[in-house]
Amino acid sequence: MKLFTAVLLSLAAVSAQATPRTVDTARSDISFSVKQMGVAVEGRFKRFEAQVNFDPAKPETSSAALSVDIASIDAGSDEADSTAAERAWLDKAGFPKATFKSSSVRATGPGKYEAKGLLTIKGKPREITVPFRATDQASGATLLSGQFSIRRTDFGVGGGEWNEGDLVSNDVPVTFQLLLAPAK
Amino acid sequence: MSQPLPQRYGAIAQAGHWLTLLLVIGAFALGWIMSDMKMSPTRLKLFSYHKWIGVTIFGIAVLRLLWRQWAKAPPLPPAMPAWERIGAHLSHWGLYALLLAIPLSGWLMSSAKGFQTVYLGHFPIPDLIGRDRELGKLLEDVHELLTTILLFVVGLHAAAALKHHFFNRDDVLTRMLPRWRKTGDAS
Ligand code: HEM
Repeated sequence: MKLFTAVLLSLAAVSAQATPRTVDTARSDISFSVKQMGVAVEGRFKRFEAQVNFDPAKPETSSAALSVDIASIDAGSDEADSTAAERAWLDKAGFPKATFKSSSVRATGPGKYEAKGLLTIKGKPREITVPFRATDQASGATLLSGQFSIRRTDFGVGGGEWNEGDLVSNDVPVTFQLLLAPAK
Repeated sequence: MSQPLPQRYGAIAQAGHWLTLLLVIGAFALGWIMSDMKMSPTRLKLFSYHKWIGVTIFGIAVLRLLWRQWAKAPPLPPAMPAWERIGAHLSHWGLYALLLAIPLSGWLMSSAKGFQTVYLGHFPIPDLIGRDRELGKLLEDVHELLTTILLFVVGLHAAAALKHHFFNRDDVLTRMLPRWRKTGDAS
């Protein structure tokens, strides 16, 4: 009987999941900005995988899992790219992926949501809150977009001499746009 | 407008000239050192200082050119042969052109590489062009090439100044130098 309820409950949990939506990564974007000597330098990741279940009618059932390929960084020049990939920074060799896995999603207003979850960079997981908006596109697609800020030192990004003074800002704003194909 | 031409460069023209020399030496030394460095906070600082010096050189060159409209340059010595006159004019205008073009190419290169130039860390200079990796590399080559040409023209220019002083024994060099007091009191 216990087993039966457990099975029933888990089935219910599965069916309560919002339907998975294909993420059009070619038209999605994950970018960030780092300030050095008062100069903001923009960067983005060209390759990432994203599994997103999103249902605006039942936001609590939504979830997201992203995996970003560190090697795909584009910080504007070969030099900036290779610096970002070094051990002191994102350590491409040691930690080729940065990931995000949501734990909960809730609505905060019309078209506005908030996801909580675990962001893992350089193997260090940190709980973050990501506010985002969902806008319906004419094609039936949905655009999720948002911005949040992380502190790079929370993840051990850019240690040692890089943290002296305020040469390189600790706060790193991240913006993202995920284009979800129309729900099937 | 028929003022007689001056016989010497004035204090402002001289200050602009020698300050430019100091700044060019500084920018060149920084550029040389930082391009061979491994990425580090110090290197980022040197990049910024190099850019600030470059912007200053550009600004001073513009001011010098404006000032020159007002305080005319002294005429070249009458004894100078025509080819030397042409050479002097070409190299002076060439130097001004390079003093403008080198910082310009550096600024555009910086934009193309995704680093805006922020003068003295406070005054952002707008990016005229967007991020473009290939253009960034091309502009880097242009920046280096122009600098090499500057080095060459400056060498020629300084050699000519010294030749005038020691061989022709005219006042071409001294009129670009402050007039020392006859008493020998240089303060
Ligand atoms: C970065 C290095 C230098 C640059 C960019 C530079 C540039 C210039 C320019 C543009 C002029 C023309 C001024 C005008 O008529 O408005 C000039 C004049 C002059 N420069 Fe330089 N110069 C440099 C280094 C030197 C050095 C090292 C010397 C001396 C050894 C020198 C000696 C002179 C003299 C004597 C004049 C006056 C020429 C005349 O009387 O017509 N310069 N320089």
